Amino acid sequence: MNRLERILVIIPAYNEEDSIGRVIEDVRTNCPQMDILVVNDGSADHTSDRARASGVVVLDLPFNLGIGGGMQTGYKYAAEKGYDIAIQVDGDGQHDPKEIPKLLQTLEERKVDVAIGSRFITDLEYKATTMRRVGITVLSKVISIMVRQKITDPTSGFRASRRKAIQLFAVNYPQDYPEPEVVVLLSKSGLKMAEVPVKMSQRYSGESSITKIRSIYYMVKVLLAIFVDWFKKYPLLIGE
Amino acid sequence: MLIKIQIIVGLLSILLILITVELIRKERLREEYSILWLFTGGAILIFILFPAFFLSRFIPRVTGVFYLSAVVLIVFFFLLLIVFHFSVVISKLTGQNKDLAQRYALLELEFNELKRRYFTSNTDSS
Repeated sequence: MNRLERILVIIPAYNEEDSIGRVIEDVRTNCPQMDILVVNDGSADHTSDRARASGVVVLDLPFNLGIGGGMQTGYKYAAEKGYDIAIQVDGDGQHDPKEIPKLLQTLEERKVDVAIGSRFITDLEYKATTMRRVGITVLSKVISIMVRQKITDPTSGFRASRRKAIQLFAVNYPQDYPEPEVVVLLSKSGLKMAEVPVKMSQRYSGESSITKIRSIYYMVKVLLAIFVDWFKKYPLLIGE
Repeated sequence: MLIKIQIIVGLLSILLILITVELIRKERLREEYSILWLFTGGAILIFILFPAFFLSRFIPRVTGVFYLSAVVLIVFFFLLLIVFHFSVVISKLTGQNKDLAQRYALLELEFNELKRRYFTSNTDSS
């Protein structure tokens, strides 16, 4: 790994006061050379204070924009400050910072713009309800066909992106279901991606935004969204 | 019977136009949103002024719908246009609102950083 590359870890957080401190600590100990940015998406609790107390850069959104709008703010920051690589790690602790080097290694070795951490390539111990499993399976099949590449975990938000992808996300980032939609966006913009097997732990705190009952509803809406994305016209990337 | 409906609907459409114009004058309604309302008022007025032509000849010939149902159809069509227009406007505003919030957060961060640096350098020199 090139030591001269500037790397930013973006941690989106919405009401994660119980876990944010631990996530920041984990990232620090595993990747001490990286800068950390916490995007506080209009939390009503002490997420912002806890993050600030850890001494990281904190971006406070004036109100809740949702995970898409929050993440995009992080990418805008990365693009403005000229970072070479941006890594996205959830604030609820389900992404293990120990796996970050694997993402970087994939960026390097497979010469891709985005490396996506997948729970389902090798490690099938990840506990998810049956309904959710089925939903993710259908989604991954449909998306795989759309992008002509095997995607096993389209709902993974554990990603490392190179400069080109950062600049794309800064101007164009899906707002509704960012994880699966980003895969389609990348493919339509002609950027290359690769999946990496990673372990994801159970979240430290909080609830998943996808509950058991809503799984089917979520799947249908995501499918609709990616079909719409598929027909959208995206502005071409300008320059490098 | 028809003359009563004509008077009521005619007055209503004139009222609609007057209210729209008044709101524009007071700058409570922006011109871009008023055009559809003015059109709606105008269209209803024209239809109700010449009911014989529009309601029993023109519209039935073009669409095959007669009379009162024709009026309902016209009104419904215009309301549909207006509501659709609102959806488009709200979508645009949502996007702009998001961009503003993001810009605000980025600038606030930059500002606090500058402020901190300014104060530390001032205390250093003193």
